[in-house]
Amino acid sequence: MLALDGRVDLANLAMILVLASVVAALWLPPIGCLLACTFAVLAFNWTFVPPRGSFTVDLHQHALLLATMLAVSWIVALLMARQRLLAARERRHAQRAENLRATSEALRDTDDPIERAPQLREALVQLVGTPVTLLMLRGSLPSGTDGDPCLQLGEASADEQTGLRLSLRDSRAFGPGTGRHQEQDAWYLPMRGRSASFGAALVSLRAPPAEPGEVRAHAQALCDQMGLALERAQTLRRAVQAREEANSQKLRNTLLAAISHDYRTPLATIMGAASSLHDQADRLSPEQQQRLAAMIVDEADQLSRLTDNTLQLARLDAPGLALQLDWESAEELVGSVLRRVRQRDPARRVHARIDAGLPLLRCDAVLLVQLLENLVDNALKYSDAAAPVEIVARKLGDQLVIAVGDRGPGIAPAWRERIFDVFQRGERADAPVGPLHESGARRGAGVGLAVCRAIARAHGGQLTLRARSRGGSSFECALPAVDPPEPAAAAAAENARP
Amino acid sequence: MSLSVLLVEDDRELRATLREALTVEGYKVRTAASLADATAQMAHAEATGDVDLVLLDLGLPDGDGEALLAAMRRQSTTPVIVISARQSDGQKIRLLDTGADDYLVKPFSIGELLARMRVALRHRGTALQAAITHYEHDGLLVDVVAHRVGVDGQDIHLTPTEFKLLARLVRSVGRVVTHRQLLADVWGPEFTEHTHYLRLYMGQLRAKLEADPADPRRLLTEPGVGYRLVEPAA
Repeated sequence: MLALDGRVDLANLAMILVLASVVAALWLPPIGCLLACTFAVLAFNWTFVPPRGSFTVDLHQHALLLATMLAVSWIVALLMARQRLLAARERRHAQRAENLRATSEALRDTDDPIERAPQLREALVQLVGTPVTLLMLRGSLPSGTDGDPCLQLGEASADEQTGLRLSLRDSRAFGPGTGRHQEQDAWYLPMRGRSASFGAALVSLRAPPAEPGEVRAHAQALCDQMGLALERAQTLRRAVQAREEANSQKLRNTLLAAISHDYRTPLATIMGAASSLHDQADRLSPEQQQRLAAMIVDEADQLSRLTDNTLQLARLDAPGLALQLDWESAEELVGSVLRRVRQRDPARRVHARIDAGLPLLRCDAVLLVQLLENLVDNALKYSDAAAPVEIVARKLGDQLVIAVGDRGPGIAPAWRERIFDVFQRGERADAPVGPLHESGARRGAGVGLAVCRAIARAHGGQLTLRARSRGGSSFECALPAVDPPEPAAAAAAENARP
Repeated sequence: MSLSVLLVEDDRELRATLREALTVEGYKVRTAASLADATAQMAHAEATGDVDLVLLDLGLPDGDGEALLAAMRRQSTTPVIVISARQSDGQKIRLLDTGADDYLVKPFSIGELLARMRVALRHRGTALQAAITHYEHDGLLVDVVAHRVGVDGQDIHLTPTEFKLLARLVRSVGRVVTHRQLLADVWGPEFTEHTHYLRLYMGQLRAKLEADPADPRRLLTEPGVGYRLVEPAA
């Protein structure tokens, strides 16, 4: 300005000054800006307005110029300040909207909104800048009492806890600006769902934020999002629970229907034979009596095994099942199975083939014998009276496979998995229609295969069904082969001695 | 003189059935329906020596039959066969180890019961008599004293451990010998958990003595409990 002095007239110089004060208004805060403008006009007066070097003004028009300059600078400064204020508020709004959106997205992505409680708390702390405590209902639907199990995040005195519970129960906000309990130095904000509240937040107001109304509205919005999410999660949980209950009810009904069917059949035979012996003994020949008695023994035996299987299935289903694990040899297991089934296998259809040098198995012998006995029983039952039944044990990779194969009609492909379900009976591959039990021709595997699979799985193994290439089915139980402890060497050494 | 059996069983029907079946076989049967009753009868029998065998049910209304077994074993060697509806192997093993001669799981057939009773009675008082050292059945011959084993007239060579194991089974022929008993008697008390030894040596014994080791006729496995050498037909 000093450089232009003398070359440009006074009014033009004044314009430069106005420009400078506008530029200053862009950066300086409103008060600073007003002061700077005033100082600049005074300095201008001192330096450029004749008489120079003093604040006195000669001409009226110069006084007008100075006044206008001052007014214009001030107005510009104030306008700029207002503009900046509006922009800042806009930014805050946008940020909060973004904040809300992020929270709602995070809540949507989780199955259990309670897991997101720390994030909500953090968001509230960031918003208000003071400590925040959350109280959230865990699992149950709000019962309206204070006894519901809750998750508390953060510190709260007994009074504050009561406040939180009250806010939760009444679905109302308390604290300054809410119209209720204005005297409190904290906000109690409920987490509202559609039907009730599912939690509450305690926001301390030891250092009250600027614009408390807006901050509270935003905090409430955040809490409500959590409330809605909690409500949604609980509704979902309830639906799943209801479905599971219905399923287990259905399963129980199927189970009971099937058990009573499977129990009734042998019972009917026993009842028939026994009452015949009881009522008609004098008219029956000794051979007939013998046959009836044998029938009772057979059916009672069947019933006994059915009971074993049913009980075993219940035991295997129970949590915390402890297996009696020990080192067992496949040869011995198969040997005991053979001995047990011989009574039901007078024609000696069952044969065993055990590979030499099989490793010992780490298993529960009683369970494994039960598994194999069930498989052999089924094989005997579902194949022709002359067809052989084979038990084969061999090592395949790092597994020991014990397979029970028959030359029966096989199992229809559609049934090869379902047959392992409790009380399913397979459709024969050659059967024209209907599952076996409807034909009534043979009595079913019932729980048998379900128990077998449960036993195999309890040992970390698998039970699968394979159709054999030349007809029949092979049920294969694959168990992990584990290295037994050291004794093999000792035994071998002793054998080597003459 | 007919042998006398004390039948301890709380179920009325089963008690009646067993009583009849045993009477038909020529046994003199006394019955007890509770632990107290059984204890009193046993105390009386100790004095008169009038009970040759006890059939003991475990679940009694006033206590567990196991208690009676333990009390009896402190002063008598009368054979005890446990009959129980409980199928837990742990318990079977414990009972056999505390001195039960055998066990039967309900339901069982009368034939099975009679067979077990015959074995138990034959071994009555073996603790006092000379140990069984000779076994001959179905082509298998074991002479423990002469250290000889033969199958169908052919001498069979056994390793020392195999022989000890077989001799132990011969000593309790017809009865279950638990894994623990076998391991303790053949290998030593510190080996009672080493079931894998037993599996290996039983495998070797079967390979030498059985026609088809996978379908044994002589050395029978009681899954989860122990082994039994088949009783020669009486």
